[in-house]
Amino acid sequence: MTFTLTLSPADLLLMLPELFLTLWLCVILTIDFSLPRFPKRNLAYLSVLGLAVVLANLVWFDRAGVTGTLFNRMFVLDRMAIFFKIFIVVATILVILASIDYVKRFKFFKGEYYFLVLMSALGMMFMASANDLLSIFITLEFSTFGFYVLVAYLRDDPASNEAGLKFFILGVFAAGLLAYGISLVYGETGKIVLSDIASAQATPGLIIGYLLIFAALGFKIGAAPFHAWIPDTYHGAPTPVTAFLSIAPKGAAFAILLRLFFISLASFKPAWVLLLVLASILSMTYGNIVAIAQKNIKRLLAYSGIAQIGNVLIGLAAGTKMGSDAILFYLLTYLFANLGAFAIVIAVGNLINSDEIEDYNGLNRRSPFLAFAMLVFLLSLAGVPPLAGFIGKLYIFVAAIKEGLYTLIVVGLVNIVISIYYYLVVVKKMYINEPVDNSPLVVPAPMQAVIYASLAGTLALGIYPQPFIDWVVSATMMFSHIVAPTVAVVSPIIGG
Amino acid sequence: MLDYILLVILFAPFLGAIGLIFVPNRQALQVRLVAALSAGICFVASWIMFFTFDPAKSGYQFIQRYEWSKELGIAFYLGVDGVGAPLVLASAILLFAGIFISWHIKDRTKEFYIFLLILAAATIGVFMSLDLFFLYFFYEMSVIPMYLLLGVWGSHTKGYLAMTDPEGLKQRDSVGFIFNFASNSKEYAAMKLTLFLSAGAVVALLGILLIYKLSGLNTFDIVALKQHTHFEGPVGTLIWLLIFFGFASIAPIWPLHSWSPVGHAAAPAATSMLHAGVLMKLGHFSIIRICYEIMPDLTRQLMPIAAVLCIFSIIYGGLVAFYAKDTKYVIGYSSSSHMGYVFLGMAALDYISLSGAILYMFAHALATGMLFAMAGWVYDQTHTRHIPDLGGLINRMPFVAGCFIVACMASIGMPGTVNFIAEVMILVGAWHKYPFQVFVAVVGIVLTMGYLFRMMRGLFYGPMDEHYAHAHDAVSMVDRFPLLLMIACSIGFFFFPFHFLDVVRAGVEPLIARIIEVVPIVSQAGGIAPGGGPLP
Repeated sequence: MTFTLTLSPADLLLMLPELFLTLWLCVILTIDFSLPRFPKRNLAYLSVLGLAVVLANLVWFDRAGVTGTLFNRMFVLDRMAIFFKIFIVVATILVILASIDYVKRFKFFKGEYYFLVLMSALGMMFMASANDLLSIFITLEFSTFGFYVLVAYLRDDPASNEAGLKFFILGVFAAGLLAYGISLVYGETGKIVLSDIASAQATPGLIIGYLLIFAALGFKIGAAPFHAWIPDTYHGAPTPVTAFLSIAPKGAAFAILLRLFFISLASFKPAWVLLLVLASILSMTYGNIVAIAQKNIKRLLAYSGIAQIGNVLIGLAAGTKMGSDAILFYLLTYLFANLGAFAIVIAVGNLINSDEIEDYNGLNRRSPFLAFAMLVFLLSLAGVPPLAGFIGKLYIFVAAIKEGLYTLIVVGLVNIVISIYYYLVVVKKMYINEPVDNSPLVVPAPMQAVIYASLAGTLALGIYPQPFIDWVVSATMMFSHIVAPTVAVVSPIIGG
Repeated sequence: MLDYILLVILFAPFLGAIGLIFVPNRQALQVRLVAALSAGICFVASWIMFFTFDPAKSGYQFIQRYEWSKELGIAFYLGVDGVGAPLVLASAILLFAGIFISWHIKDRTKEFYIFLLILAAATIGVFMSLDLFFLYFFYEMSVIPMYLLLGVWGSHTKGYLAMTDPEGLKQRDSVGFIFNFASNSKEYAAMKLTLFLSAGAVVALLGILLIYKLSGLNTFDIVALKQHTHFEGPVGTLIWLLIFFGFASIAPIWPLHSWSPVGHAAAPAATSMLHAGVLMKLGHFSIIRICYEIMPDLTRQLMPIAAVLCIFSIIYGGLVAFYAKDTKYVIGYSSSSHMGYVFLGMAALDYISLSGAILYMFAHALATGMLFAMAGWVYDQTHTRHIPDLGGLINRMPFVAGCFIVACMASIGMPGTVNFIAEVMILVGAWHKYPFQVFVAVVGIVLTMGYLFRMMRGLFYGPMDEHYAHAHDAVSMVDRFPLLLMIACSIGFFFFPFHFLDVVRAGVEPLIARIIEVVPIVSQAGGIAPGGGPLP
């Protein structure tokens, strides 16, 4: 195989956001090392500034329609990659703003915190562009690398150490599965670019290889039955890291999943629909039922996150262009609702130093703003109109019912009712119960900005989603030809 | 301007709720005035809408249509027909009255009014949606404010039936291991209500999605679905049942009613009014909008289900109300009993009885609204709703007692109130098809008299406990106005029902025509009332 690497400046333009972010990372780290008196808080604003530049660059790409591939199609920049990069950058900006006050808790390495967050973001931006098996492995590990450190950042807290260890061991195991799966697929096909393996014949080695890759990615998105690390890691990790972990890697992993299933595996659709249906049903049901029993808000959001991912998998199981639109849209709604909810957990945690749901008693009396915002985010997660989550769920269900996935829809609808229960229990504590301590809570300005931004996103996506729907539809345009409309008949209850 | 009147009615409360966010919490009077202003705009606009509704035209009026999402086939499509218009009016009246009824709420006034306005606006939104998506959107949106209104501003119940524990906050419900709330508590009531209604909504949503899928039109537009689709066979029956039972759970029909009286009892007065007055009618309305309009043939075949279940609704609700000790339980069970009449009127599939059912929904909204408002007044003054503890209050509150008597008369269906017209129309219209049910309904009226008179006597007559010497009457205009408003509407429409009946007829006539036109034989052999078919 001849491997020629020609790079013109025009080609490098495609990687401009990543290159700029790499440079910015170095700047942040250099400032942190060389100017010890430089206030750490300003490092956060510097990071946000850099990310804002990247965001502007990506929006320009999106508007101007800049697309292309690099490094023998290892790196692809298409509309969907741009969508996911914007998704990751927005999530990172919100997380950094939300962590400013939390970082004061760290005894050491306050500056490196921002460096590690940005580095993980960089890795995930590459994930969104990964177009062959090698780059999938490299980018996935690159992005997880920062998280291994971040999860265990509270050095003196045994829970954080436990979380870090658990995440690390299981993460490395998942990486092993991924590498083994990739080697099997490569061994069977001799190719690594995703669109090239599409034509391969189904052999036992290939099937096992793909199953292993799916398991690794399932670990990444936290879908049952690969969810075991989620509750403890979310619980123990510093809350802003949990917030970051609950959003950005899932988005990036779905970029890979979409490419893998819709491009490489398009012809095997009847086979993998059943796999996804099972994973989806298991995730939704397990996540929602176990969430009922939670006493800690971070664990509750962890289990609700597992259930939400089950919902997203419905869109993947639909396996159509519309399914992929619905996934992208759902992830957007999830970004704002989940990050908003975590922002409030961070704010409340900073103020009262507790994450127990019991301590949310009477939050409405102590801070009407926080309680109302939490109400909006939880109801959006539950899928109540006129909030974003409702449109997201409906979009997914419409995509699925067009493919006749009746079982999945019935399970999804039942799960909505279950989830309303446990979200309302939190609402009950905030609004109905009386607080032990009546002192008002004051939210610092950066946190307010995060909460207002998430509120605006949640309401805008719920009340006037059409611009966003147009965006996701154009972002997944490449799937309109690849996935042929097949009639999937997976355990229909009713013959259509 | 008139073209946009539905937008004014719908968005006035929403904008009021948004405006309230910016009013400082301490300015309670300002908060109330803003709420009253937005509800007032909604109220005036609905009267204008109702009286400019042209009964001579068929189809929907005041139509507004905006493309909302092409990919999903959703349009923001508003319009009212003879079924929706009276219910929009009823919601606006009850909202406006409810603002004044809750004038004295002191705890978190601002948030109370925000949630109340959202609840009312969402309800109104259902009555004017011509798009299945937005019908569901507003329907589900009305459920969540109920949770907070009940949970935060509601009240615990004390031994509502003879066999329940009177002190009762210890006793767990059978599902207590999940809910973990005491069965008399407001938290339990709020959670039960929300879960029941959400479950019902989700069942209906499945039906709506199946309609969307099987029609193949890629649209949620009710008008388009009505013209271009035809549902039949087992799949059609399944969809019909999903939609019927999904929405009937809010109506509430007999086996699915248990959330409703608990919910009524726990809710603050204005919320009970809206809840019993209009929220429960969302169920009937949605069944008419979806089942009757989109699936007329199946409705003809399957509506006897409602005719059977309404017997249990009427008798069971009436009997429980007879034994209930809590004023709001009496009214709550009487509501669920009276909703059986609406189902009877709907099930007979007859022009007169269906018109009667719609009129009955309007009349019942006013009567129940009054009863709940006054039960709330008595509770505010005495801090108990336990009938055995009360008595002799007529000496302390003659005005309220007088209004209460009028409200009881209205609820029973005495001539002089619009309920009388409605009840007679239902009974006459249903007689040819369901004589047994009509007999049951008459027994139900006797029961109604029994429990309402019993409650009246328990509250206002007999010896008075010295505890209640401080209780006072509704003296100020703010307190009297809502009661007088509802009484005036109830009596006014008795004497001048003409425009009302014309409006209802404009909506009902094409509905019934579509349902019975397919097998015209029925009108002779099956026993549709002579002249009960579509009028010339």
